[in-house]
Amino acid sequence: MDVPDDRQYTEEHEWLLPGEGGKVRMGITDYAQDALGDVVYVELPAAGETFSKGDAIAEVESTKSVADVYAPVTGTVTAVNEDLASQPELVNSDPYGDGWFVEIEIGDAAGLDSLLDPAAYRELIA
Amino acid sequence: MPQSPLHEEHVRLGARFVDFAGWDMPVQYEGVLAEHEAVRSAAGVFDVSHLGRFRLEGPESTRLLQTLLCNDVGAVEPGRAQYTMALNQSGGIEDDIIVWRWEEDRYWVVPNGANEDKVRALFVSRADTRSTIEDLRESTVLFAVQGPAAPAAIETVLGRRPVRFCLFETTFAQHPVWVAGTGYTGEPGGEIAAPIDAAVELFGAFLAAGLTPAGLGSRDTLRLEMGYPLWGQDLDPQTTPLEAGLAWVVDWDHEFVGKEALQRQRDGGIPKEQIGFIMEGPQIARNGYPLRSGETTGVVTSGNYSPTLKRGIGLGYLPPPLAADLRVEVQVRDSWLPVVRHDPPFIERT
Repeated sequence: MDVPDDRQYTEEHEWLLPGEGGKVRMGITDYAQDALGDVVYVELPAAGETFSKGDAIAEVESTKSVADVYAPVTGTVTAVNEDLASQPELVNSDPYGDGWFVEIEIGDAAGLDSLLDPAAYRELIA
Repeated sequence: MPQSPLHEEHVRLGARFVDFAGWDMPVQYEGVLAEHEAVRSAAGVFDVSHLGRFRLEGPESTRLLQTLLCNDVGAVEPGRAQYTMALNQSGGIEDDIIVWRWEEDRYWVVPNGANEDKVRALFVSRADTRSTIEDLRESTVLFAVQGPAAPAAIETVLGRRPVRFCLFETTFAQHPVWVAGTGYTGEPGGEIAAPIDAAVELFGAFLAAGLTPAGLGSRDTLRLEMGYPLWGQDLDPQTTPLEAGLAWVVDWDHEFVGKEALQRQRDGGIPKEQIGFIMEGPQIARNGYPLRSGETTGVVTSGNYSPTLKRGIGLGYLPPPLAADLRVEVQVRDSWLPVVRHDPPFIERT
Protein backbone atom coordinates (compact mmCIF):
# COMPACT_ATOMS: atom_id res chain seq x y z
CA MET A 1 0.00 0.00 0.00
CA ASP A 2 1.18 3.47 -0.88
CA VAL A 3 1.99 5.78 2.09
CA PRO A 4 3.54 9.04 0.83
CA ASP A 5 6.17 10.67 3.03
CA ASP A 6 4.88 14.23 2.60
CA ARG A 7 1.89 14.02 4.97
CA GLN A 8 0.47 12.79 8.25
CA TYR A 9 -2.08 10.11 9.02
CA THR A 10 -4.77 9.05 11.50
CA GLU A 11 -5.62 5.68 12.95
CA GLU A 12 -8.92 5.95 11.05
CA HIS A 13 -6.98 5.84 7.75
CA GLU A 14 -7.20 9.49 6.79
CA TRP A 15 -4.32 11.61 5.54
CA LEU A 16 -3.56 15.32 6.13
CA LEU A 17 -1.38 17.44 3.90
CA PRO A 18 -0.33 20.83 5.36
CA GLY A 19 -0.93 23.75 3.02
CA GLU A 20 -0.67 27.52 3.23
CA GLY A 21 -2.14 29.71 5.95
CA GLY A 22 -2.84 27.04 8.54
CA LYS A 23 -4.97 24.98 6.17
CA VAL A 24 -4.74 21.24 5.65
CA ARG A 25 -6.10 19.10 2.86
CA MET A 26 -7.48 15.69 3.84
CA GLY A 27 -8.60 12.49 2.26
CA ILE A 28 -8.57 8.75 2.88
CA THR A 29 -5.55 6.52 2.44
CA ASP A 30 -4.74 3.97 -0.22
CA TYR A 31 -5.32 1.29 2.42
CA ALA A 32 -8.79 2.70 3.18
CA GLN A 33 -9.92 2.91 -0.45
CA ASP A 34 -8.66 -0.60 -1.06
CA ALA A 35 -10.59 -1.95 1.93
CA LEU A 36 -13.76 -0.12 0.91
CA GLY A 37 -13.75 -1.36 -2.66
CA ASP A 38 -15.34 0.59 -5.53
CA VAL A 39 -16.43 4.00 -4.21
CA VAL A 40 -19.73 5.05 -5.77
CA TYR A 41 -20.72 8.11 -3.72
CA VAL A 42 -19.05 10.52 -1.30
CA GLU A 43 -21.14 12.81 0.89
CA LEU A 44 -19.08 15.88 1.76
CA PRO A 45 -19.80 18.76 4.14
CA ALA A 46 -20.41 22.30 2.89
CA ALA A 47 -17.69 24.91 2.97
CA GLY A 48 -18.02 26.95 6.15
CA GLU A 49 -19.14 24.07 8.37
CA THR A 50 -17.16 23.57 11.53
CA PHE A 51 -16.17 20.25 13.04
CA SER A 52 -14.55 19.03 16.21
CA LYS A 53 -11.87 16.40 16.01
CA GLY A 54 -13.61 13.03 15.81
CA ASP A 55 -16.91 14.30 14.31
CA ALA A 56 -18.20 12.50 11.23
CA ILE A 57 -17.23 14.88 8.44
CA ALA A 58 -17.99 12.76 5.35
CA GLU A 59 -19.49 9.44 4.29
CA VAL A 60 -18.13 7.08 1.68
CA GLU A 61 -20.47 4.64 -0.04
CA SER A 62 -18.94 1.68 -1.82
CA THR A 63 -20.49 -1.32 -3.53
CA LYS A 64 -19.91 -3.16 -0.25
CA SER A 65 -20.81 -0.76 2.55
CA VAL A 66 -20.95 2.78 3.88
CA ALA A 67 -18.17 4.20 6.02
CA ASP A 68 -17.93 7.38 8.08
CA VAL A 69 -14.90 9.61 7.71
CA TYR A 70 -13.97 11.52 10.86
CA ALA A 71 -12.58 15.02 11.21
CA PRO A 72 -8.88 14.49 12.01
CA VAL A 73 -8.60 17.98 13.53
CA THR A 74 -10.89 20.67 14.90
CA GLY A 75 -11.57 23.40 12.37
CA THR A 76 -13.65 24.93 9.59
CA VAL A 77 -14.10 23.51 6.10
CA THR A 78 -12.80 26.00 3.57
CA ALA A 79 -13.13 23.93 0.38
CA VAL A 80 -14.56 20.60 -0.76
CA ASN A 81 -13.59 18.48 -3.76
CA GLU A 82 -16.51 19.11 -6.13
CA ASP A 83 -15.15 16.58 -8.64
CA LEU A 84 -16.13 13.70 -6.35
CA ALA A 85 -19.83 14.36 -7.05
CA SER A 86 -19.47 13.21 -10.65
CA GLN A 87 -16.33 11.07 -10.28
CA PRO A 88 -16.36 9.27 -6.91
CA GLU A 89 -14.00 6.70 -8.42
CA LEU A 90 -11.19 9.26 -8.03
CA VAL A 91 -11.04 8.10 -4.40
CA ASN A 92 -9.96 4.68 -5.70
CA SER A 93 -7.73 5.76 -8.56
CA ASP A 94 -5.91 8.68 -6.87
CA PRO A 95 -6.60 8.69 -3.12
CA TYR A 96 -3.71 11.05 -2.29
CA GLY A 97 -4.26 13.42 -5.21
CA ASP A 98 -7.43 14.10 -7.19
CA GLY A 99 -9.42 11.99 -4.74
CA TRP A 100 -8.97 14.47 -1.85
CA PHE A 101 -12.05 15.26 0.26
CA VAL A 102 -11.89 18.67 1.94
CA GLU A 103 -9.64 21.50 3.04
CA ILE A 104 -9.83 22.52 6.68
CA GLU A 105 -8.62 25.63 8.44
CA ILE A 106 -7.31 24.33 11.72
CA GLY A 107 -9.10 25.85 14.72
CA ASP A 108 -7.24 24.09 17.50
CA ALA A 109 -3.67 22.95 17.00
CA ALA A 110 -3.79 20.74 20.09
CA GLY A 111 -5.30 17.86 18.10
CA LEU A 112 -2.29 17.65 15.80
CA ASP A 113 -0.25 15.88 18.47
CA SER A 114 -1.97 12.54 17.97
CA LEU A 115 -1.37 12.32 14.22
CA LEU A 116 0.84 9.54 12.88
CA ASP A 117 3.93 10.07 10.78
CA PRO A 118 4.32 7.90 7.65
CA ALA A 119 6.49 5.33 9.44
CA ALA A 120 3.95 4.94 12.25
CA TYR A 121 1.09 4.63 9.77
CA ARG A 122 2.97 2.01 7.75
CA GLU A 123 3.38 0.06 10.96
CA LEU A 124 -0.34 0.39 11.71
CA ILE A 125 -1.39 -1.19 8.42
CA ALA A 126 1.41 -3.72 8.21
CA MET B 1 -14.57 -22.20 8.24
CA PRO B 2 -15.22 -24.32 5.13
CA GLN B 3 -13.47 -23.20 1.97
CA SER B 4 -14.17 -23.94 -1.64
CA PRO B 5 -11.95 -26.63 -3.21
CA LEU B 6 -10.93 -23.74 -5.49
CA HIS B 7 -9.66 -21.56 -2.64
CA GLU B 8 -6.02 -21.63 -3.78
CA GLU B 9 -7.08 -20.68 -7.30
CA HIS B 10 -8.99 -17.69 -5.93
CA VAL B 11 -5.98 -16.61 -3.87
CA ARG B 12 -3.80 -16.86 -6.98
CA LEU B 13 -6.30 -14.62 -8.84
CA GLY B 14 -6.08 -11.98 -6.08
CA ALA B 15 -9.48 -12.60 -4.55
CA ARG B 16 -10.74 -10.92 -1.42
CA PHE B 17 -12.73 -13.26 0.81
CA VAL B 18 -15.87 -12.92 2.91
CA ASP B 19 -17.81 -15.17 5.26
CA PHE B 20 -20.76 -16.23 3.15
CA ALA B 21 -23.26 -18.67 4.65
CA GLY B 22 -20.42 -19.84 6.89
CA TRP B 23 -18.09 -20.36 3.93
CA ASP B 24 -14.94 -18.40 3.16
CA MET B 25 -15.81 -17.34 -0.40
CA PRO B 26 -14.46 -14.76 -2.90
CA VAL B 27 -16.32 -11.44 -2.65
CA GLN B 28 -14.31 -9.82 -5.44
CA TYR B 29 -11.16 -10.16 -7.54
CA GLU B 30 -10.52 -6.99 -9.55
CA GLY B 31 -13.53 -5.10 -8.16
CA VAL B 32 -17.30 -5.34 -7.91
CA LEU B 33 -17.99 -2.75 -10.64
CA ALA B 34 -15.60 -4.32 -13.15
CA GLU B 35 -16.98 -7.81 -12.52
CA HIS B 36 -20.57 -6.59 -12.72
CA GLU B 37 -19.82 -4.91 -16.05
CA ALA B 38 -18.04 -8.02 -17.36
CA VAL B 39 -21.09 -10.19 -16.62
CA ARG B 40 -23.55 -7.71 -18.18
CA SER B 41 -21.47 -7.14 -21.32
CA ALA B 42 -19.61 -10.46 -21.80
CA ALA B 43 -19.55 -13.26 -19.22
CA GLY B 44 -18.20 -14.21 -15.83
CA VAL B 45 -17.60 -17.35 -13.80
CA PHE B 46 -18.61 -17.47 -10.13
CA ASP B 47 -17.62 -20.15 -7.65
CA VAL B 48 -20.90 -20.86 -5.86
CA SER B 49 -19.77 -24.03 -4.11
CA HIS B 50 -21.27 -22.70 -0.86
CA LEU B 51 -24.75 -23.36 -2.28
CA GLY B 52 -26.55 -26.40 -0.95
CA ARG B 53 -27.13 -29.42 -3.16
CA PHE B 54 -28.31 -32.93 -2.42
CA ARG B 55 -29.60 -35.84 -4.45
CA LEU B 56 -33.07 -37.19 -3.72
CA GLU B 57 -34.05 -40.45 -5.35
CA GLY B 58 -36.76 -43.06 -4.88
CA PRO B 59 -40.35 -43.85 -5.78
CA GLU B 60 -41.71 -41.46 -3.15
CA SER B 61 -39.45 -38.53 -4.03
CA THR B 62 -41.97 -36.64 -6.18
CA ARG B 63 -44.67 -36.92 -3.52
CA LEU B 64 -42.18 -35.78 -0.87
CA LEU B 65 -41.15 -32.71 -2.89
CA GLN B 66 -44.79 -31.86 -3.54
CA THR B 67 -45.59 -32.04 0.17
CA LEU B 68 -42.62 -29.99 1.34
CA LEU B 69 -42.46 -27.37 -1.45
CA CYS B 70 -45.12 -24.89 -2.59
CA ASN B 71 -44.54 -25.10 -6.33
CA ASP B 72 -45.65 -28.32 -8.07
CA VAL B 73 -42.62 -30.30 -9.12
CA GLY B 74 -45.00 -32.80 -10.70
CA ALA B 75 -45.62 -30.23 -13.43
CA VAL B 76 -41.93 -30.15 -14.35
CA GLU B 77 -40.77 -32.48 -17.08
CA PRO B 78 -37.70 -34.61 -16.38
CA GLY B 79 -34.67 -32.74 -17.67
CA ARG B 80 -35.88 -29.38 -16.38
CA ALA B 81 -35.46 -27.23 -13.26
CA GLN B 82 -38.00 -25.33 -11.16
CA TYR B 83 -37.89 -22.40 -8.72
CA THR B 84 -39.80 -23.25 -5.55
CA MET B 85 -39.90 -22.66 -1.80
CA ALA B 86 -40.11 -24.55 1.48
CA LEU B 87 -42.68 -22.95 3.79
CA ASN B 88 -43.47 -23.38 7.46
CA GLN B 89 -46.97 -23.97 8.85
CA SER B 90 -47.51 -20.20 8.97
CA GLY B 91 -46.70 -19.87 5.28
CA GLY B 92 -43.33 -18.23 6.02
CA ILE B 93 -40.42 -18.91 3.70
CA GLU B 94 -37.91 -21.33 5.24
CA ASP B 95 -35.93 -21.32 2.00
CA ASP B 96 -36.17 -20.61 -1.70
CA ILE B 97 -34.86 -23.52 -3.71
CA ILE B 98 -34.13 -24.70 -7.23
CA VAL B 99 -35.12 -28.32 -7.91
CA TRP B 100 -33.36 -30.09 -10.77
CA ARG B 101 -35.56 -32.96 -12.03
CA TRP B 102 -33.20 -35.37 -13.80
CA GLU B 103 -35.65 -38.26 -14.13
CA GLU B 104 -39.15 -39.13 -12.99
CA ASP B 105 -37.89 -40.10 -9.51
CA ARG B 106 -34.37 -38.64 -9.44
CA TYR B 107 -33.81 -35.04 -8.32
CA TRP B 108 -31.21 -32.58 -7.14
CA VAL B 109 -32.39 -30.10 -4.53
CA VAL B 110 -30.43 -26.82 -4.46
CA PRO B 111 -31.16 -24.73 -1.33
CA ASN B 112 -29.37 -21.59 -0.17
CA GLY B 113 -26.00 -22.27 1.41
CA ALA B 114 -27.17 -21.07 4.81
CA ASN B 115 -30.18 -23.43 4.69
CA GLU B 116 -28.62 -26.61 3.34
CA ASP B 117 -28.52 -28.42 6.68
CA LYS B 118 -32.05 -27.34 7.64
CA VAL B 119 -33.60 -28.29 4.30
CA ARG B 120 -31.78 -31.61 4.00
CA ALA B 121 -32.77 -32.49 7.57
CA LEU B 122 -36.38 -31.69 6.70
CA PHE B 123 -36.28 -34.08 3.77
CA VAL B 124 -34.50 -36.78 5.80
CA SER B 125 -37.13 -36.52 8.55
CA ARG B 126 -39.98 -37.01 6.08
CA ALA B 127 -38.42 -39.50 3.67
CA ASP B 128 -39.43 -43.18 3.66
CA THR B 129 -36.98 -46.09 3.65
CA ARG B 130 -37.03 -46.37 -0.13
CA SER B 131 -35.66 -42.84 -0.56
CA THR B 132 -31.98 -41.99 -0.97
CA ILE B 133 -30.69 -38.59 0.11
CA GLU B 134 -27.05 -37.80 -0.58
CA ASP B 135 -25.24 -34.56 0.26
CA LEU B 136 -23.38 -33.47 -2.87
CA ARG B 137 -21.51 -30.58 -1.30
CA GLU B 138 -18.68 -32.77 -0.09
CA SER B 139 -18.05 -34.35 -3.48
CA THR B 140 -18.68 -31.54 -5.97
CA VAL B 141 -18.01 -27.91 -6.79
CA LEU B 142 -20.62 -25.60 -8.29
CA PHE B 143 -19.98 -22.80 -10.78
CA ALA B 144 -22.29 -20.16 -12.17
CA VAL B 145 -21.33 -19.06 -15.68
CA GLN B 146 -23.38 -15.99 -16.57
CA GLY B 147 -23.53 -13.30 -19.23
CA PRO B 148 -24.48 -12.78 -22.86
CA ALA B 149 -21.33 -14.65 -23.92
CA ALA B 150 -21.85 -17.45 -21.36
CA PRO B 151 -23.72 -19.98 -23.55
CA ALA B 152 -20.97 -19.85 -26.18
CA ALA B 153 -18.27 -20.18 -23.51
CA ILE B 154 -20.03 -23.18 -21.99
CA GLU B 155 -20.27 -24.72 -25.44
CA THR B 156 -16.55 -24.16 -25.96
CA VAL B 157 -15.68 -25.93 -22.71
CA LEU B 158 -18.43 -28.55 -22.47
CA GLY B 159 -19.56 -29.00 -26.05
CA ARG B 160 -23.14 -27.91 -25.54
CA ARG B 161 -25.11 -24.74 -24.80
CA PRO B 162 -27.44 -24.57 -21.81
CA VAL B 163 -31.09 -23.75 -22.40
CA ARG B 164 -33.05 -21.75 -19.84
CA PHE B 165 -34.21 -24.02 -17.01
CA CYS B 166 -33.16 -27.16 -18.90
CA LEU B 167 -30.65 -29.72 -17.60
CA PHE B 168 -27.98 -31.78 -19.27
CA GLU B 169 -25.21 -34.11 -18.20
CA THR B 170 -21.94 -34.31 -20.07
CA THR B 171 -18.28 -35.05 -19.44
CA PHE B 172 -15.17 -32.93 -19.02
CA ALA B 173 -11.77 -34.64 -19.02
CA GLN B 174 -13.48 -38.00 -18.27
CA HIS B 175 -15.37 -36.48 -15.34
CA PRO B 176 -19.15 -36.20 -15.25
CA VAL B 177 -20.47 -32.62 -15.32
CA TRP B 178 -24.04 -31.54 -14.56
CA VAL B 179 -25.46 -28.36 -16.10
CA ALA B 180 -28.66 -26.41 -15.42
CA GLY B 181 -29.72 -23.38 -17.44
CA THR B 182 -30.26 -21.36 -14.28
CA GLY B 183 -28.64 -18.40 -12.55
CA TYR B 184 -29.05 -15.37 -10.31
CA THR B 185 -27.94 -12.50 -12.53
CA GLY B 186 -30.64 -12.10 -15.20
CA GLU B 187 -28.14 -13.15 -17.86
CA PRO B 188 -28.06 -16.28 -20.01
CA GLY B 189 -25.81 -19.10 -18.89
CA GLY B 190 -25.92 -21.89 -16.41
CA GLU B 191 -24.99 -23.38 -13.10
CA ILE B 192 -22.53 -26.22 -13.46
CA ALA B 193 -21.60 -28.94 -10.98
CA ALA B 194 -18.50 -31.12 -11.26
CA PRO B 195 -16.59 -33.56 -9.06
CA ILE B 196 -13.97 -31.92 -6.85
CA ASP B 197 -11.24 -33.81 -8.75
CA ALA B 198 -12.18 -31.86 -11.88
CA ALA B 199 -12.63 -28.49 -10.17
CA VAL B 200 -9.28 -26.80 -10.85
CA GLU B 201 -9.04 -28.00 -14.43
CA LEU B 202 -12.61 -26.98 -15.25
CA PHE B 203 -12.16 -23.56 -13.63
CA GLY B 204 -9.01 -23.10 -15.69
CA ALA B 205 -10.89 -24.06 -18.85
CA PHE B 206 -13.57 -21.46 -18.11
CA LEU B 207 -10.94 -18.77 -17.62
CA ALA B 208 -9.18 -19.86 -20.81
CA ALA B 209 -12.50 -19.51 -22.63
CA GLY B 210 -12.43 -15.82 -21.73
CA LEU B 211 -14.68 -15.74 -18.68
CA THR B 212 -13.96 -13.11 -16.05
CA PRO B 213 -13.70 -14.47 -12.50
CA ALA B 214 -16.48 -12.78 -10.56
CA GLY B 215 -17.13 -12.73 -6.83
CA LEU B 216 -20.20 -12.74 -4.65
CA GLY B 217 -20.15 -8.93 -4.40
CA SER B 218 -21.09 -8.53 -8.05
CA ARG B 219 -23.45 -11.48 -7.82
CA ASP B 220 -25.38 -9.40 -5.27
CA THR B 221 -25.51 -6.21 -7.37
CA LEU B 222 -26.47 -8.28 -10.44
CA ARG B 223 -29.31 -10.08 -8.66
CA LEU B 224 -30.62 -6.87 -7.10
CA GLU B 225 -30.82 -5.13 -10.49
CA MET B 226 -33.15 -7.97 -11.50
CA GLY B 227 -35.11 -7.69 -8.24
CA TYR B 228 -34.31 -11.30 -7.35
CA PRO B 229 -34.86 -11.75 -3.61
CA LEU B 230 -32.11 -12.90 -1.25
CA TRP B 231 -33.12 -15.30 1.50
CA GLY B 232 -32.16 -13.92 4.92
CA GLN B 233 -32.83 -10.35 3.73
CA ASP B 234 -35.85 -10.16 1.40
CA LEU B 235 -37.24 -13.56 2.37
CA ASP B 236 -37.36 -15.15 5.81
CA PRO B 237 -39.54 -17.45 7.96
CA GLN B 238 -41.75 -14.48 8.93
CA THR B 239 -42.45 -13.52 5.31
CA THR B 240 -44.82 -15.37 2.98
CA PRO B 241 -44.57 -15.72 -0.81
CA LEU B 242 -47.68 -13.55 -1.16
CA GLU B 243 -46.06 -10.73 0.80
CA ALA B 244 -42.86 -11.12 -1.22
CA GLY B 245 -44.63 -10.80 -4.58
CA LEU B 246 -43.92 -14.44 -5.33
CA ALA B 247 -47.49 -15.76 -5.65
CA TRP B 248 -46.47 -17.16 -9.05
CA VAL B 249 -44.28 -19.69 -7.23
CA VAL B 250 -47.31 -21.10 -5.35
CA ASP B 251 -49.27 -23.92 -6.97
CA TRP B 252 -52.67 -23.96 -5.28
CA ASP B 253 -53.75 -27.25 -6.88
CA HIS B 254 -51.68 -29.50 -4.65
CA GLU B 255 -51.31 -29.99 -0.88
CA PHE B 256 -48.14 -28.60 0.76
CA VAL B 257 -46.89 -27.46 4.13
CA GLY B 258 -48.12 -23.92 4.80
CA LYS B 259 -50.97 -23.98 2.26
CA GLU B 260 -53.76 -23.34 4.77
CA ALA B 261 -52.02 -20.28 6.18
CA LEU B 262 -51.42 -18.98 2.67
CA GLN B 263 -55.07 -19.50 1.75
CA ARG B 264 -56.16 -17.53 4.81
CA GLN B 265 -53.80 -14.74 3.81
CA ARG B 266 -54.95 -14.84 0.20
CA ASP B 267 -58.55 -14.40 1.36
CA GLY B 268 -57.93 -12.06 4.30
CA GLY B 269 -55.13 -9.85 3.02
CA ILE B 270 -51.43 -9.45 3.64
CA PRO B 271 -49.91 -7.34 6.45
CA LYS B 272 -46.95 -6.20 4.36
CA GLU B 273 -46.09 -5.99 0.70
CA GLN B 274 -42.80 -5.88 -1.13
CA ILE B 275 -41.91 -2.73 -3.03
CA GLY B 276 -39.01 -1.86 -5.26
CA PHE B 277 -37.52 1.61 -5.45
CA ILE B 278 -34.87 3.75 -7.12
CA MET B 279 -33.21 6.56 -5.18
CA GLU B 280 -33.82 10.06 -6.53
CA GLY B 281 -30.49 11.38 -5.28
CA PRO B 282 -27.00 9.91 -5.18
CA GLN B 283 -27.36 8.33 -1.73
CA ILE B 284 -27.60 4.57 -1.30
CA ALA B 285 -30.14 2.78 0.89
CA ARG B 286 -29.00 -0.37 2.65
CA ASN B 287 -30.55 -3.43 4.24
CA GLY B 288 -32.26 -2.35 7.48
CA TYR B 289 -32.83 1.34 6.68
CA PRO B 290 -36.36 2.56 7.61
CA LEU B 291 -38.97 3.20 4.92
CA ARG B 292 -42.10 5.28 5.31
CA SER B 293 -45.13 6.35 3.37
CA GLY B 294 -47.23 8.91 5.15
CA GLU B 295 -47.98 7.44 8.57
CA THR B 296 -47.03 3.86 7.71
CA THR B 297 -43.53 2.53 8.18
CA GLY B 298 -41.52 -0.36 6.84
CA VAL B 299 -37.96 -1.40 6.19
CA VAL B 300 -35.46 -1.82 3.37
CA THR B 301 -34.46 -5.48 2.99
CA SER B 302 -31.92 -5.10 0.15
CA GLY B 303 -30.30 -1.89 -0.99
CA ASN B 304 -27.20 -1.20 -3.01
CA TYR B 305 -25.75 0.74 -5.90
CA SER B 306 -26.93 -0.25 -9.37
CA PRO B 307 -23.87 -0.10 -11.63
CA THR B 308 -26.17 -0.08 -14.68
CA LEU B 309 -28.44 2.77 -13.51
CA LYS B 310 -25.68 4.50 -11.52
CA ARG B 311 -28.24 5.04 -8.75
CA GLY B 312 -29.17 3.38 -5.51
CA ILE B 313 -31.89 0.73 -5.83
CA GLY B 314 -33.63 -1.41 -3.28
CA LEU B 315 -36.35 -3.75 -2.14
CA GLY B 316 -38.35 -3.38 1.04
CA TYR B 317 -41.68 -3.89 2.71
CA LEU B 318 -44.55 -1.53 3.56
CA PRO B 319 -48.09 -2.25 4.77
CA PRO B 320 -50.71 -2.23 1.99
CA PRO B 321 -52.63 -0.72 0.34
CA LEU B 322 -49.86 0.84 -1.71
CA ALA B 323 -51.42 3.31 -4.12
CA ALA B 324 -49.60 3.64 -7.42
CA ASP B 325 -48.79 7.30 -6.74
CA LEU B 326 -47.78 6.68 -3.15
CA ARG B 327 -44.96 8.90 -1.92
CA VAL B 328 -42.26 6.72 -0.34
CA GLU B 329 -39.18 7.87 1.55
CA VAL B 330 -36.16 6.08 2.95
CA GLN B 331 -34.15 7.18 5.95
CA VAL B 332 -30.44 7.45 5.21
CA ARG B 333 -28.65 8.41 8.42
CA ASP B 334 -30.55 11.49 9.66
CA SER B 335 -32.45 12.38 6.50
CA TRP B 336 -35.69 11.11 4.95
CA LEU B 337 -35.03 10.99 1.22
CA PRO B 338 -37.64 10.54 -1.53
CA VAL B 339 -37.48 7.43 -3.71
CA VAL B 340 -39.21 6.51 -6.96
CA ARG B 341 -41.24 3.34 -6.67
CA HIS B 342 -40.29 0.87 -9.36
CA ASP B 343 -41.44 -2.70 -9.70
CA PRO B 344 -38.45 -4.95 -10.45
CA PRO B 345 -36.59 -5.68 -12.58
CA PHE B 346 -34.79 -2.36 -12.37
CA ILE B 347 -33.08 -2.86 -15.73
CA GLU B 348 -34.25 -4.21 -19.07
CA ARG B 349 -33.01 -7.68 -19.99
CA THR B 350 -34.45 -9.95 -22.61
